[in-house]
Amino acid sequence: MERVAPQEVFQVLGISITDTVISTWIMMVVVIVGIILIRWLFPSLLERLVGFLRATISDVMDRPAEPYLPYLGALAIFIAVANVIGVVPVVTTPTKDLNTTAALAITVFLAVHVFGIRKKGVWGHVKTMAAPLGLFFLMLPLDVVGQLSRTLALALRLYGNVISSELIVDVVSDILSFIAPLPLIALGMFTGVLQAYIFVILAAVFIGMAVRKDE
Amino acid sequence: MESETLITVVAIITGGVGILISTVTLAIVEGRAVLKALEGMVRQPEIANRLFTSLIVGMALLETSAIYTILVITLLLGLLGG
Repeated sequence: MERVAPQEVFQVLGISITDTVISTWIMMVVVIVGIILIRWLFPSLLERLVGFLRATISDVMDRPAEPYLPYLGALAIFIAVANVIGVVPVVTTPTKDLNTTAALAITVFLAVHVFGIRKKGVWGHVKTMAAPLGLFFLMLPLDVVGQLSRTLALALRLYGNVISSELIVDVVSDILSFIAPLPLIALGMFTGVLQAYIFVILAAVFIGMAVRKDE
Repeated sequence: MESETLITVVAIITGGVGILISTVTLAIVEGRAVLKALEGMVRQPEIANRLFTSLIVGMALLETSAIYTILVITLLLGLLGG
C-alpha cells in the first residue's frame, strides 16, 4: 500500500505538494495542448466528443444540457484523462489520492447548490430539498444527510476503483514483472473511463434533481 | 497465543470471509441484473441501447459495495502492518 500511496514531493507554505498534485498540473498542460492539437487536426473528432457528452447529459437530465455542459464536460474529461494518464512514465494517477476524488465530489456538492439557487432562488432551492412542505423540519435535515452521504459515496467509489486497480498492478508486477501486468493495466484504464462516465452521470442526476420543475 | 498475533489472525480471517461474502453476493446479484437486462433486450430490441446504458450504470453502482469492502479490508490489513 505504501508504494501506491501519494508521495509528498515538496511543501509550499505548509501545504504538502504530492506527486498526484504535480500530475494534475501536467494533466492540465496535456489536456490544453491536446485540445488545441485535436481542434487543429481533427475538428470533427472534437465535435463528436462534445456531441456525445451533450447527448448523454441531456438524456439523463431530461432537459437541454446547455447551462450544465461546461461543468459536467470538464468533469468528464478531467476524470477520464486522470485515470488513463497513469501509464505515462513520470506521471501518477491523480485519482488514486483520496484528496483528489474528495475534491471532485465536493465540487459536485457545491455545483448542485449553485445550479439550484441560480435556477430557483435560495428559498425555492431550500423548498426543493425539503420536498413535502408539511414535514419541513424533518425532510430538510434528512435530505442534507442524504446529500452528504452521496457525496462521500461519489468520492469513495472513484477512489476505491482506481486504488484497487493500482494495488493489483503493483502486487502482480512484483510477482510476475513484465508481461502479466499489461492486461491488468488495460483493465484499469477501461475501468477508469467507465468510472468517469458513471461519475458524470451521477453528477448530472443530482443536478437534475435540484433544478427539476416539480408540480 | 499473544494478543498481537491473535489480532492479526482474526483480522486476516475476517478479511478473507468478508471479501468472500461480498464478492459472491455481488456476482450473483450482478448476474441476475444482466439476465433481466438481456430478457428486456430480447423483448424490445428497439430500446436495447437504453437498456445497455442503464445496465452499465446499475452495475457500476452495485460494484460500489464491493469496493467499500475491499477498501475496509485493505485499511484493516494495512494498519496492522504498522
